[in-house]
Amino acid sequence: MDQQLQEDWLDRRLREEMPYIDDAGFTARVVQKLPAPVSRQSWRAVILISVTLLASVVTYLASDGGRFLIVAAYRFASMPLVFISLVAICATLIATAVAASAAVAQARETR
Amino acid sequence: MPLNDADLVARVLVDDDHHAFAELVRNHQSAVRGLLRQLTRSDIALADDLAQEAFLRAYKNIRSFRGEAKFSTWLYRIAYNCFREEARKRKELVGIDETKLEAEQDPQTVDLALKHDLMHALQLLPLNERSAILLCCQNGLSHDEAARVLDIPLGTVKTNVLRGREKLKKTLAAWGPN
Repeated sequence: MDQQLQEDWLDRRLREEMPYIDDAGFTARVVQKLPAPVSRQSWRAVILISVTLLASVVTYLASDGGRFLIVAAYRFASMPLVFISLVAICATLIATAVAASAAVAQARETR
Repeated sequence: MPLNDADLVARVLVDDDHHAFAELVRNHQSAVRGLLRQLTRSDIALADDLAQEAFLRAYKNIRSFRGEAKFSTWLYRIAYNCFREEARKRKELVGIDETKLEAEQDPQTVDLALKHDLMHALQLLPLNERSAILLCCQNGLSHDEAARVLDIPLGTVKTNVLRGREKLKKTLAAWGPN
């Protein structure tokens, strides 16, 4: 019992003897010595734009100057009006669902 | 809302965010500097230099922090390694220099007025016992966490804590509850 009491006293004293050390510019000195941050963002943007441009050029050349797009647009335009309306409604619903789920996820993250 | 250590580490990893790292330094500077002050026997300038070195190493090696242990435990380990390297350089590792240690523990060579000072009593302990006591009793680490920091077996940590405590109790007997 006495021994336990003494150990508790010792542990308490040890914790009390650890004062909070004021920062006093320590953090600023450490941050000043950190190596400059590597700007990965700019590299990311360059890579993304380059890949997109390259893919566009390859697609343009491989599709005979994008003729398939014009053909597809003509085909779509010659379809019945009801079918075109249905496609438009479905596309709107899908876009709304995607936007709503993204908004909910964002709200959860910031909560 | 203040971010926890894991969030701050993630920001440093993903965006190389200096502000997030500064927040980590701010959160842990007192504990790390306090530990190093005790280990260096209150050499404040040396302790702060070592603490700075420890935080810079932590930044450079933050990718090796896998989140298996607490960030503070990982940080203490880096700080302790910095201290050990410095001590090796200065050949001041207590425990290696046994004659010096014995001289320090001889009651006749110790100022009696300081004998009642807990911090002074701590500084009389050999490094292995002092480190174990500081980590477990003062900084609140578990024996297992202290074993990771000190890179020694769990049993050795328990023994060192026990021996250190016994020596402290003897030194401070006059102060303790009777």
